[in-house]
Amino acid sequence: MSSTANVYALLAKGEAYSLEDQLELLADVTQSFAESLEIEATLRNAIEKFMQYLDAEAASIFLLDTDTVADNPDLVCRACAGPVDISGLRLPGDTGIIGKTITSRCCQIVRDVSKDPDFAKQVDADTGFVTRSILCTPLIVRQKCIGALELINKRGGDGLFDDQDRHLLGALASSAALAIHNARMADRLVEQERMRKELELAREIQMDLLPAPGRDGFPVVGMNVPAREVSGDFYDFLRRDDGLIYFSLADVSGKGMNAALLMAKVSSLLHHLAREISDPGELLTRVNVELCESISHGMFVTIVAGFLDPASGRIDLANAGHQPPLLHHGDGSFEEIVATAPPLGVLAGCQFPVTTLKLNDSSLYLFTDGVTESLDENNRPLAVDGFIELVRAAEYGPAARRLQGIVAELRKPAVSQRDDITLMVIETDGDRRPDAMKTQQIFALHFRAEPERLGPVRALVKRAAQSFGCNETLADKLVIAVNEACMNVIQHAYHGDGSGEVSLEVRTNGTQVIFRLEDQADPIDLKCVQPRDLDELRPGGLGVHFIREIMDHCEMGHLEKRRGNYLEMRKAID
Amino acid sequence: MQYNSRNAGTYAVLDLKGDVDLSCSPDARKQILQCLEAGRHLLIDLSAVSYIDSSGVASLVEGYQTAKKKNLRFGLVGVSSAAMGVLQLARLDKVFPIHASVEERMSADG
Repeated sequence: MSSTANVYALLAKGEAYSLEDQLELLADVTQSFAESLEIEATLRNAIEKFMQYLDAEAASIFLLDTDTVADNPDLVCRACAGPVDISGLRLPGDTGIIGKTITSRCCQIVRDVSKDPDFAKQVDADTGFVTRSILCTPLIVRQKCIGALELINKRGGDGLFDDQDRHLLGALASSAALAIHNARMADRLVEQERMRKELELAREIQMDLLPAPGRDGFPVVGMNVPAREVSGDFYDFLRRDDGLIYFSLADVSGKGMNAALLMAKVSSLLHHLAREISDPGELLTRVNVELCESISHGMFVTIVAGFLDPASGRIDLANAGHQPPLLHHGDGSFEEIVATAPPLGVLAGCQFPVTTLKLNDSSLYLFTDGVTESLDENNRPLAVDGFIELVRAAEYGPAARRLQGIVAELRKPAVSQRDDITLMVIETDGDRRPDAMKTQQIFALHFRAEPERLGPVRALVKRAAQSFGCNETLADKLVIAVNEACMNVIQHAYHGDGSGEVSLEVRTNGTQVIFRLEDQADPIDLKCVQPRDLDELRPGGLGVHFIREIMDHCEMGHLEKRRGNYLEMRKAID
Repeated sequence: MQYNSRNAGTYAVLDLKGDVDLSCSPDARKQILQCLEAGRHLLIDLSAVSYIDSSGVASLVEGYQTAKKKNLRFGLVGVSSAAMGVLQLARLDKVFPIHASVEERMSADG
C-alpha cells in the first residue's frame, strides 16, 4: 500500500491526521497538478481527495468566468464532489460565502450557516442538500483571485471546520490556483497555435486566388508579399476569349482577416465580370454598386483595372482612388497616369472615367502604397521617386525577374515593410528589354572555363571597347573588370576544374556597354559574392572590388530556364 | 608571362614580363616565395608587365607579407602603367614600396 493510500485509509477510519499526512497529501495533489494540463479531470480528482481528507460531506471549486467581461463576472462550478452534482452551476459573482471569500480574498469559516446572513440559501433549496457548516478559501494566483475552493459540512468531531482545516485548505488552494493558471496558459497557447494554422490556411487559399504566372512573354506579371499572414491586396489578370487581357491591382482598406475576405469577394466579382465587360469604367461601376450595398462601414477598395489589347498595345484603364500607375517609357522617362475617381464602396452612383494609352515600347507599373510607404534605412518612406529609382535599377531583363529584383530591394533588412507589397508590370512582350530595340551586339563567344582562355578574351574585349570609341584608359578598365568576372566563374563557379563553359556577350545601346556572362555551374550563393574591405591587407578577394569599382551597374543571379548563373555589368561610354 | 631572376647588390631581382594572370600567377607566386625562402631581399621589376590581374596582385601581397615576417626588404620597381592601374584600383600603390628602378631603390636604401 502506498503512503498516500495510507493517508486515505487512516481517514476512512476517522483518525486525526498528522503533519506528515498533510504534507503527503499536499505533495500528492501538487504532483498530479504538475503532471496534468487536463485541468477539469485533475480538479475533479483533487476535489474528491480534499473532501475525503478534510472529512467533509461535499466540496466544490468555483471559478470566476473569464469569458464574461463584466465588472462582476459570474461564478461557475468547475468541479465538485459529494452527494449532489452542481458542476456547471452558474451564480452571480457576489453570491453567498463564495462571493464573500472572493471579494475579501480571505478564507471564511462558517460554523452555522443558518446564522450567517451572507449564506445563499437558494442552492440548498434547488438541490435539496442541507448545508450546515462551510470552509471556503480563495484561489489566488499572481495576486489575482480567480475563484474559491469550498468544503461543506465537516463530518467527524464536532461537525465544525477548525483552523487546522483552514491552513491545510489554504495550502491546497495555492497549488490548485497555480495549476489552473498553468492550464489556462497552455490552453491559450494551443488556441494561438490553432489561429496561426488557420491564418496559414487562409493565406494559402488567398494565394490561390492570385493568378498563376502566365507563360514566358505573357504581357502581365504580378507579385504580392503580404505584411501579415493574409493580405488586403490583390492582383489579377486573365486572357479573354477575344484576346483582350484583363488586369487589376487593388488594395483593400485595413489588414488582416476582414480585409482578406473583402479582397476575396472583390477579386472574384471582377474576375467574373471581366469576361463579359470590356469597358473598365463600367466594370468598376458595377462592382462599386454591389460593394456599396454590402460593404462593412468604413471599408473601401482602391483599384486600377483595365484591358490590354496585346496586338496593338492599347490599354484602357480606370482608377478608383488608387496610386497612379507609372509608365516607364522606352527612352527611360517616367509618366504618372493620373485619373481620379473615389475608391470602390464609398459612393454608389459615381462614374469611373477611362484612360486610354498606347504601350509601344514602354512598361506600365501598377503598385500599392505598401511599396511607396516602405521605409528606408533613415525611416523615410520610399515614395514614388524611390520606387522609380528601383525600377530604373532593375531596368532590364524579363519582367518577372525585374519585379523580383524590386521586391528583393524592398525586403532588404534595412527597409521595413509596413504594408502588403503588391506590384504588377504590363508590357506588350513580358520578356523584352525596354532598350532591346536599341542594343546592338558587339560580339558573343563561348569558351572553356580555363585560365589559358583569359588572354584571348581580354584581347577581344579590348578591341570591342575601342570599336565603340572608349579611350585607352576606359578600355583597359573594362578589360580588367571582364577578366576578373571570368576568373570568378573559373575559380568559384566551376571550382577551377576547367570543366565548364562560359559565355560572354557584349552589347551596347549607344550610351552604355553591357557585358553579360553566363555559366552552367551550380547556383552560387549570391550572398558570398561581396567586395571586401581594402584596409585589410590580404592576398585574395580583390576581383569583386575591381568589378564594382569599374562598372556602373552589376547584377548577378541564377538563370531561370537552365542551371547556371549570370552576371550583367554595365558601363557608360561617351 | 616570362620571368627572369638576377642579382643586384644584396637584392634578388625578379623581372616579370607579359601578362601576369590566373594562368601563370601560381608560377609568379612560387618564384617570389622561393627568393624570400632563400633569405634574399627582393625587388620585383614590373616594367615589362602588360597586364596583371587580382591573382597576380595577390601574389605580390603575399610576397610583401612574407618579407615583412622574415625581416627582408621588399619592393616593386619600374611599375608599368598597366600594372600601376591595377595597384591603384586595389589601393595598394601606397602600401608597396615602389621605386622607378633598382638603382633608385638601392640609393634610397642608402
